[in-house]
Amino acid sequence: MTQAASDSAPDAPAPGGVAADYFDGRHAKAHAVRVHVEADQLAIAGDGVHYSVPLAGLRWPERTRHGVRILQLPDGASLHCRDSLAWDTWSAAAAGRRDSLVVRVQQRWKWVWISTLVLVCLIGVSYKHLLPWAARAVVAVTPESADVAVGDAALSQIDDAGVMLPTTLSAARQEAVRTAFAQAVARLPSDVPKYRLEFRKSTIGPNAFALPGGAIVLTDDLYERVDGDKDILTGVLGHELGHLRHRHGMRMLVQAGVLSAAAGAVYGDFSTLFAQIPVLLGQASYSRDAEHEADVDAVRLMRANGISPAVMARFFEKIRQPRPGEKTDGTGPGPQMPIAIASHPADADRIRFFEQAAQER
Amino acid sequence: METSTQDPWQPTAAPEVAALAERPLPIRFTGSGSEYFRIWIVNLLLSIVTLSLYRPWAKVRRLRYFYANTLVDGHAFDFHGNPWKMLRGYVLVGLMLIAYSAAGRFSATAALVAVAILAVLWPALLRASMQFRLGNTSWRGLRFRFTGSLAGAYACMLPMFIPAFAMAMLRFEIVDPQHPTMTYIKHIYLVMFASALVAPLMWWLFKRYQHDHYSLGQWQTRLTIGAGRMYGLSLRVFGVFLLSLIVVLIVVAIVAGAAGALAAVNGHAPSLAANKPLWMVLIVVGVLAMYFLMLIVPVPYAMSRSQNLIWSSTRCDELRFDSKLPFGALLGLTLKNWLLMIVTLGLYWPFAAVAFYRLRIEALTPQLSGDLDRLQAQAAARVTDASGDAAGDLFGIDIGL
Repeated sequence: MTQAASDSAPDAPAPGGVAADYFDGRHAKAHAVRVHVEADQLAIAGDGVHYSVPLAGLRWPERTRHGVRILQLPDGASLHCRDSLAWDTWSAAAAGRRDSLVVRVQQRWKWVWISTLVLVCLIGVSYKHLLPWAARAVVAVTPESADVAVGDAALSQIDDAGVMLPTTLSAARQEAVRTAFAQAVARLPSDVPKYRLEFRKSTIGPNAFALPGGAIVLTDDLYERVDGDKDILTGVLGHELGHLRHRHGMRMLVQAGVLSAAAGAVYGDFSTLFAQIPVLLGQASYSRDAEHEADVDAVRLMRANGISPAVMARFFEKIRQPRPGEKTDGTGPGPQMPIAIASHPADADRIRFFEQAAQER
Repeated sequence: METSTQDPWQPTAAPEVAALAERPLPIRFTGSGSEYFRIWIVNLLLSIVTLSLYRPWAKVRRLRYFYANTLVDGHAFDFHGNPWKMLRGYVLVGLMLIAYSAAGRFSATAALVAVAILAVLWPALLRASMQFRLGNTSWRGLRFRFTGSLAGAYACMLPMFIPAFAMAMLRFEIVDPQHPTMTYIKHIYLVMFASALVAPLMWWLFKRYQHDHYSLGQWQTRLTIGAGRMYGLSLRVFGVFLLSLIVVLIVVAIVAGAAGALAAVNGHAPSLAANKPLWMVLIVVGVLAMYFLMLIVPVPYAMSRSQNLIWSSTRCDELRFDSKLPFGALLGLTLKNWLLMIVTLGLYWPFAAVAFYRLRIEALTPQLSGDLDRLQAQAAARVTDASGDAAGDLFGIDIGL
């Protein structure tokens, strides 16, 4: 655009130039200079400085609304300009400085809002689809021995911490549960993960959970609550077997790891506590999805054994009621947690799921 | 800020003032939250799209923005880090960190080995991080330097690992993990008590290592306080923490009492135990809330008092620092930042970062008693390995400003 003008008057001094402070990189003394462009050189003159450097290869400071412009020169010297507007106008016109794409986006609110929108969508999609998909892929290529190592470490930690005590169920009862469950699982057509049943006396109430590597822990308390009902236990253990088949434990580890790394990178500088919030919410939402997947597997196992999924509704009933003589400790049921936080789908939703499954058969 | 009549662009006094008369070199921050928001959001987008490989470029852009807007006596800082070199260090340290956190998942022995390796590397990494950050920061065209030696880094940091090591050794005392012996428990408490007793000393050793080795030209800082002042400060911080703890406990007691009364009135039976994950989430949320309440006052208190104590006791022959960071203002800003962070789901962060940085940096005033024009570079600045920078980033090491 200015080609013609500069061609017609090649020897005329470049228009204007700009005032700046020059530092030689060895002394702290500032030299007030004027900077011009002469042919393909940057000419710096004033206060005893007479100096020029080739324009090619200069890394121009980026345009921002606030802030001093500092041009780093090849030999450790630098030019500082406080009048950023004059500097930007001059360097664009005379020295051919161009804003990078990133700078242009950063300096236009329109593009900033578009970036924000893209960012929010991207985070939403990653949260909902990308991360679970990636976790599944990572776990798929992880050897099973890793699951076993993680699960064993977790179980011995639980035992050492005294959360779980040795079971008080008689050997005969344990054997009955084992046999019944083995028979139920044998009726599944395919896709049975490796598992082993572990019995423990729990100090934190009725519970059953699966650990990576195949351990399914059933607590005495839960067994007693359902009076050893075989159908209910098949459903409960089928649910835990579903967690094992989908390797939910390992997937959760990967997802939680990525989530906390990402949240820590963005908000760790503000507060590590604040960075925990998205991790907590994300984990709760993933855990809800995993519980649903495991419920689907429980139904699969029950159907294979001709058990109506409706027995699971009975399970939720039994587990809700306090046992006769049990002391109420005044904590109450608490308000229902909003769905974003509760890690299990609300009991009512799960009961509805099992009842619907019972009708569909 | 509007009340200040001082023009941030202009140096305050004429250089002809007698060499020994002190003159302040006021610090002004001219950046804005809205501009940093624009830089931050684009950085964040690019970091996510590139699976975080863009981080070094984002960091250079962020630092150059903050530096170009931090004016000491009218002159800005500059950052010289090369993002490509920083990327190499970033990937290297990232892999190390993944290996480190994975080790703990698999076995206790692997975790112990990882901690031991980290302990051995930590001081060297920390020193490299300080060297990188200062070596790539300049003011008036002169690069800063960090002059601490490797031996000094190990001398000040290895003692910090003694308590962890003692704890690990004590594990050998246990025969039956279900029933730890009374002597074992006594020894654990003894180690914990001893660690708390020497913690201020460790902190002082560390701060002295840092503040004895900042250098610009022929200036070389030193920390002029002894460990005793750190003990005084630690005691006051601990007192403020205890007060917060008491307040939190009273609040918890009232809430629990109210909830109990409500449950008794409604006649509900406790069924939370039946819904174990809900129960777990409630506990986690409760613990986080208590943790937040417990730290919301002591953290800004510790921050303001330690910045004031340490920087006001840092000096060179021709320069000293005054730090007057008010606790009240810092507490107010912390509360405001938390509130707006939660309301905006985290989008307020760039504004919070700018406000926080401005408050802390403008509270600091260097007092010059020498001649700036005589300041000159000593040796050629040695460019250091950028992996130190990434390490400092990932482990949250900084120069405390």
